[in-house]
Amino acid sequence: MALRDQLHVLVVDDMSTSRGLILQALDGFGVRNVRNAQDGPSALAALGKAPAHLVISDYNMPGMDGLELLKSLRSDTKLGGVGFILITGKADPDIINAGKQLGMNNFIAKPFDPQGLLNCIEAVVGRL
Amino acid sequence: MRAPDPMAEIRASFFVECEELLESLQDGLTAMEGGASDSETINVCFRAVHSIKGGAGAFGLDDLVRFAHRYETVMDEMRAGRLSADAEAMRLFFRAADVLFDLVRAARDGTSLDEADIEATLSELEGLTGGSPKPEGEAEAVEFTPMTLSLDLPGLDISPDEAAAAPGWDISFKPERELFVTGNEPRHLLAALSEVGPLETRCDTSAVPPLWDLDPEENYLSWSMRLAADVDRERVAEIFDFVDGVCRLDISRCSSDVAGATACADRLSPDPTSARPDPEPEPATVPIAEPSAPTPVAAAGQTSPAPASPPEEPAKPKQTVRVDLDRIDRMVNLVGELVINQAMLTQSVAEMGIPANSPVSHGLEEFMQLTRDIQDSVMMIRAQPVKSLFQRMARIVREASASVDKRVRLVTDGEATEVDKTVIERLSDPLTHMVRNAVDHGLESRDKRVAAGKPDEGVVRLSAAHRSGRVIIEVSDDGAGINRPKVKQIAEEKGLIASGLQLSDSEIDNLLFLPGFSTASKVSDLSGRGVGMDVVRSSIQSLGGRIAISSEPGRGTTLQISLPLTLAVLDGMVVRVAGETIVVPLGSIVETLTLAGSEIRHLGPRTSVIHIRDSFVPLLDLGAELGYRTPLGQYDSSVVLLIAKEDGSRSALIVDEIQEQRQVVIKGLQESYGHVPGIAAATILGDGQVALILDPVDLMARASGATRAAADLTIIPGREPSAEESLHAG
Repeated sequence: MALRDQLHVLVVDDMSTSRGLILQALDGFGVRNVRNAQDGPSALAALGKAPAHLVISDYNMPGMDGLELLKSLRSDTKLGGVGFILITGKADPDIINAGKQLGMNNFIAKPFDPQGLLNCIEAVVGRL
Repeated sequence: MRAPDPMAEIRASFFVECEELLESLQDGLTAMEGGASDSETINVCFRAVHSIKGGAGAFGLDDLVRFAHRYETVMDEMRAGRLSADAEAMRLFFRAADVLFDLVRAARDGTSLDEADIEATLSELEGLTGGSPKPEGEAEAVEFTPMTLSLDLPGLDISPDEAAAAPGWDISFKPERELFVTGNEPRHLLAALSEVGPLETRCDTSAVPPLWDLDPEENYLSWSMRLAADVDRERVAEIFDFVDGVCRLDISRCSSDVAGATACADRLSPDPTSARPDPEPEPATVPIAEPSAPTPVAAAGQTSPAPASPPEEPAKPKQTVRVDLDRIDRMVNLVGELVINQAMLTQSVAEMGIPANSPVSHGLEEFMQLTRDIQDSVMMIRAQPVKSLFQRMARIVREASASVDKRVRLVTDGEATEVDKTVIERLSDPLTHMVRNAVDHGLESRDKRVAAGKPDEGVVRLSAAHRSGRVIIEVSDDGAGINRPKVKQIAEEKGLIASGLQLSDSEIDNLLFLPGFSTASKVSDLSGRGVGMDVVRSSIQSLGGRIAISSEPGRGTTLQISLPLTLAVLDGMVVRVAGETIVVPLGSIVETLTLAGSEIRHLGPRTSVIHIRDSFVPLLDLGAELGYRTPLGQYDSSVVLLIAKEDGSRSALIVDEIQEQRQVVIKGLQESYGHVPGIAAATILGDGQVALILDPVDLMARASGATRAAADLTIIPGREPSAEESLHAG
């Protein structure tokens, strides 16, 4: 079985348009096990219910931003090992460096095309 | 059906989402303007703009991205505390929000905006921070090496979905002493359970005392079980029916997630005080996999079952679903057909002479009630709060006040009032005009206000409320009020009314609605865009609404719009007049009565009144008013519908016969016939016949003096009227 058949991904974004675009792209890559959440707390709840290998999260979200979500994940013994890709509005060095400190696996700046997202994901999990 | 293009769908949903984001941007800016200085408020604004930019980037909407980027950059300065939210900053933030709104619309509709305007707004905005921003995409390069995730491939076999799908029950069972007394045997119960599905059982013996302490009639054992069967709770519970009350029993849905699996495992270790000495807690007892075997840890005791369900997700705001408006409209139409159909059925049943207490009649009554409920529910789906409309008006006020150099504060009330979506859309133009009018003509200039002892900041108030089955929207100002002598003079000059006519204050105010009144020669920058109050009135009328004006010298003017809650159905009274069937809206009927000759007073050859409870009410022969017949002249024992306008004035409509009261589906006439005087719309009755729906207020207005005089006169074009501004005193 190819990796894309087995990989479980959770997409987190408060904007349904962005979620839709990422889900659409993942669908195009053949990744079948994809769930989505519209904010950090629901992402944590979703991961609590069923684990995933990779979280793709927006940075700019109300309440809990992407980095805070990453921090919560890394401090959780069960979920700590999950892969994490941050989506940022721009490649802001402060955000990227903070992400690096927290153990972010990769990031991608908006706007991106499906190929860009694919490269970003494959850099983390290997060839889909 | 062709599969919809997913990208087109996402794009369409982006624009819907933009509307929401723009609304929260407006809310945030309004809060900031009102003094909110917390970081969350500016964050909300920033996020809204930022999210629009993000989405726009994905669809290559470059103009939108560029503008949003420069806007958010300035906002970021405020976020960082380097820019204060003073009046000038707020003014520019609002203006930029307006431009952003326009850009979103332009992107959606594929139109383009004036570059120079946009650039002017941006440069003013950026003037706040004293510099132009870094262009998008030239952010400093960041060093980042992606961190490879070591995916434990066997781990990939663990399908969270499978895990999530695993059905089953966790059962904790502790027989009490009485269970044995009543002759029950736990072994039989467990055997019965195992017949339902695969059962994992663990007996807890930790409570068994040393032999010398053992009470032979006491039970020291308890069982924790997991039943891997997708059955109802009842199926599990019924096995324990006979031991109800003589055991402690807890049946809970097996939580199959990782956290829950641990919890389940925990539950298998029943006593917190005695950690199981069992050196090999078999991982197999928990079929729900986790890469590492769950380790039983001290957990809640038997009496209070361990939380088997995962933590509840945090409470979410109301769940919504976006539905294509066409689908709702189709449903509205179908419900309309249902109402007609139900009316036909009711009529057929009535014609069959079925008694009222028969099951058929009862069933039909319930059917009618259900039809009404469905109708109300469907209408509720279409209803939207007027907030978005009011927000648009805030912009109109900002723009209008800037262009006439007045300070104006918009006060809104009842923003949550819900109105049919179509009504909201179609209200936008007339309301815009009314608000512009209020700012431009209603409010005095700043000097005049100060001279009159008023604050130099004028107030325009916009309110919405539900009142007796209608929606009332008011636009009022605290200006000088209508300059009535001037209005009358202009109407006379323009030949709209005969000179020297005696008119009441309210009649003079209503002259403003006459066609041809406000065709000001000097097209002012704002109101005089070739749209007069007559156009406002007819657009309100086309919505089944009415508009009324009231004014107090020195205190201001109020325009009140009253609208039906829905455009689709109406409670009406079906009447016959001159051989025609007419529907009169029930809401306007105050009373019905039969005339006695003595109650009628003739005031002239064509004018009569009736005397009802110490007041005189003008008599209108409906058949004559609608042109079906010449006035009868003799109304003894005629049927009269007493109808009232919002302002309380009444008329007595003479009809030949009242047939029934019923709900009718409104079918517009506008598209085919335009506005027909005195007629609001048409409908289809139960017998399939088409009937006209009366507009009683229009009928009354036409029959009353001032407008009749006006209607009978031809508007003389080419006369030079004075500028509209002079209509207001002060």
